[in-house]
Amino acid sequence: MAPPTPQRSEAPRLSWGAPRPVDSFGDRDVAGSSEPIPPRRRVVITGIGTVNALTSGGASAVAEAIALGRSGIGPLRGFVPEPGMSGLAAEIDDARLAALVDPAEARRLSRICRFTVAACRLAMRDSGVGSGPGLAIVVGSEHGDFRSSEEFAGGYLQRGPAGLSPMIFPNTVMNTMASVAAIAVGARAPSVTLNQPTIVGDLAVARAAAIVARGNAEAAVAGGVDEICALVYRHLRDLGALSPMRGGGPEGCRPYAADHNGPVLGEGATFLVLEGLDAARARGARIVAELVDQAWGNVPVSAHAARPGRPDRGSPVGRLLAAHAVSGFRCVYGAGNGDAGVDDWERGLLARDLGPCDAPPLSLAPLFGQHGGLGALRVAAAALDAARGVSPVLVHGIARGGCRTALIVGSLDPGSRDHE
Amino acid sequence: MTRAALPRVVVSGLGVVSPYGAGVKSLWTGLSAGACAIRPVTVIETEGLRSRVAAEVPAEALDGLGVSRRRSRADRLALAAAAEALADAGLEGRDRRPAACLVGAVGGGMHEAEAWYWDEVRSGRPAPGRQRALRSVLPRAHADAVAFRFGLEGPRETLVMACASGAASIALGADLIRDGVVDVALAGGVDALTRICFMGFNALKLLAPEPCRPFDRDRRGMSIGEGAAFLVLEDAGRCRARGGRAHAELAGAAMTTDAHHVTAPHPEGEGMIRAMSLALGCARMASGEIGYVNAHGTGTPQNDRIEALALARVFGEGRILVSSTKSLVGHTMAAAGSVEALATILALEHGLVPPTANLTEIDPAVPFDCVPGTARPADLGAALSNSFGFGGQNVSLIFSRLSH
Amino acid sequence: MTEKEVLDDLKTIIVERLRFDPARAAEMTLDTTLPKGIDGSLGLDSLDFIELSVGIEERFGIVIDEREDLSDEFLSLQSLARFVLSKSAQG
Repeated sequence: MAPPTPQRSEAPRLSWGAPRPVDSFGDRDVAGSSEPIPPRRRVVITGIGTVNALTSGGASAVAEAIALGRSGIGPLRGFVPEPGMSGLAAEIDDARLAALVDPAEARRLSRICRFTVAACRLAMRDSGVGSGPGLAIVVGSEHGDFRSSEEFAGGYLQRGPAGLSPMIFPNTVMNTMASVAAIAVGARAPSVTLNQPTIVGDLAVARAAAIVARGNAEAAVAGGVDEICALVYRHLRDLGALSPMRGGGPEGCRPYAADHNGPVLGEGATFLVLEGLDAARARGARIVAELVDQAWGNVPVSAHAARPGRPDRGSPVGRLLAAHAVSGFRCVYGAGNGDAGVDDWERGLLARDLGPCDAPPLSLAPLFGQHGGLGALRVAAAALDAARGVSPVLVHGIARGGCRTALIVGSLDPGSRDHE
Repeated sequence: MTRAALPRVVVSGLGVVSPYGAGVKSLWTGLSAGACAIRPVTVIETEGLRSRVAAEVPAEALDGLGVSRRRSRADRLALAAAAEALADAGLEGRDRRPAACLVGAVGGGMHEAEAWYWDEVRSGRPAPGRQRALRSVLPRAHADAVAFRFGLEGPRETLVMACASGAASIALGADLIRDGVVDVALAGGVDALTRICFMGFNALKLLAPEPCRPFDRDRRGMSIGEGAAFLVLEDAGRCRARGGRAHAELAGAAMTTDAHHVTAPHPEGEGMIRAMSLALGCARMASGEIGYVNAHGTGTPQNDRIEALALARVFGEGRILVSSTKSLVGHTMAAAGSVEALATILALEHGLVPPTANLTEIDPAVPFDCVPGTARPADLGAALSNSFGFGGQNVSLIFSRLSH
Repeated sequence: MTEKEVLDDLKTIIVERLRFDPARAAEMTLDTTLPKGIDGSLGLDSLDFIELSVGIEERFGIVIDEREDLSDEFLSLQSLARFVLSKSAQG
């Protein structure tokens, strides 16, 4: 469906003020300016940290969980769902979480902030990178700290103004996870929080890689986080956005399968440490893999379209293939999570970019459930594949509403490679 | 992608809905007159709270935006401001398609979601309208609405960075252009007044009972505002090639993090100093080239003192003019960075620095002319705008005038 | 009110609003110090103190002016209890 034609009558005509033709920059004459494009750094992955329904730990914990292939999805424990409707999720065991955060610190952290701090610390430890003004942090989340918003509002509704808790209020702003994590790991370069559906974890990694590549930071902790919140779960279920959606068939996460009928939610935080290649080598870091390049864009469809099918004129996969001499990918990870319309759309988009393929992309949703950290888990999985010599790997993402991401992960080639 | 040189970024379009009303013209009329738009609150209940004032978008202006009332308040502000910016840039139809869309947001559709939640909790029964209320509650709803409405097919992102969101979207949009990912980006910020925000700052004892008084010796806190503002950022060469016109150049931008405390800024303004210094470096400018700083200037005892300290470290005492737009339109939260970027650009274009309102006796710890009460004519070559978000997220933007 | 009664109420606020463990709170005495940076203190920072102030205002019906420097009053549970008693006496 094409977007509606914009109506000119909507905007007031600007008939005053003096926008100028772009031919002079005052003292800074544009004609004389030919500032060279600074060289872009190669970016590598030196650490992984995760807290999710299956496991918590560094790179090896992620590798083991994926190798084992057990699913973290089970009947909801955190609250009681209405019978006859969606009731599955991949939840984190609170006892395991308690062991990951010091009680004095945990006192001041909401639950989603505890996941974030724990996972960021695990990633930092896995990597050995230092903190300071050169360390950026990029956090993606689909729903943020909704529990705290409810708690804050609830305090007022029960007790009036005196029931408003100053301590809870900062958590009602979605950048709270990035704020507390920045303090915990000492990240003083840019801290960015992104809010997107489905692919926010890989988008955060892509965004962070761009920040490091262009030199706005020496290193970055990047990934995603979400927690399961009863209000949000019920809302999504009522919208028909969770398996089994409005149809029949058993509830469950079966991405790309003929009987896929919706996503199952999970929770957790997964973060990667990205660094410039030279800096990582100089400090003797253990390099897991190279983040060869990344691109992201958007396919213009409605945010609520259930079966988007539109082709992507500006495909980020296409852009990456054009920029790099890649003849094929050993492995492709996809964002498909059982949401039938998007699963099918993703396969169609990839087929256009890569040629037809019988096998669907790899999805980690059946193991970990859909949440903001899942995209970062995909990149982590790709990095672990590349570390074993399965290279290059494409990490692809597409969401309802059209946000699309593509990252190429490869084994670090000790030889030289020309970069654009 | 081969490119000859690092692109320069110009601002080819401006759009805003502010507590003065709809449109850039009404914003400039208000700012240049030094008219304080902080008035008694009407759209939320404030009984029992320290402050009963805020800078709301006037009801007539909201009704006159020409956007469906079925949308959330914040979405309506966003759509109207975006429409103006795109029209101002002269970008239509196919020209718009490749544009990136970056929106700074915090509250999202919370204004409506809260109303539903209040209703449900108070009545003790499920309240109607849950789906509608929650459907557009997330911060990303504005970017979704704007990109779809105007056919923007480039990268679409929502940045949530507290009070710095609206400035961060501009900085990151400029990066996309400099990196050659897109030639044009619509970047801005949006926030509608919410109970959670008003009550939250009240709980932190950061709200002033009367309209805020940035840099004043007797300041007691901030005043909340609401609004939406967008800039069209464009590759200068591309803008020229299409015969476009521009308001100013975005000469430099930088983002830093204090990593100090979730609500209090670093006591010596360490992150603020770094943001301003890095922005100057990015713009290849000496501090002496900046004639005006549009301060974060919330009016809290802490922010203004520390910001003044940081300004003195970067620019030396005196010389630069400093003023706070928040004294006029309140703290517009996620929109602030963008509204104030607009104010800074307009100051450059008109050679007139908007004043700091409600400033009767300057805090002796602030060694600057803060332009009290009346706008000041000034021949400015370049100006800097600060946004220092809650939790130590700092963004500094530098704009320079296009021709003398 | 006695100092002991105020102490018990302060402990309740510390558990409910500042989220300290009830077992830990049971061990707190009038000598317990509060601010971060003092050995053996509860390690409270500025945000904790704001939360504590709101709790005290609600529980004891007094008003705390945030512009006042109350660092001495908030040094220990005893100094805090005395502050609360003197403010309550002022009515």
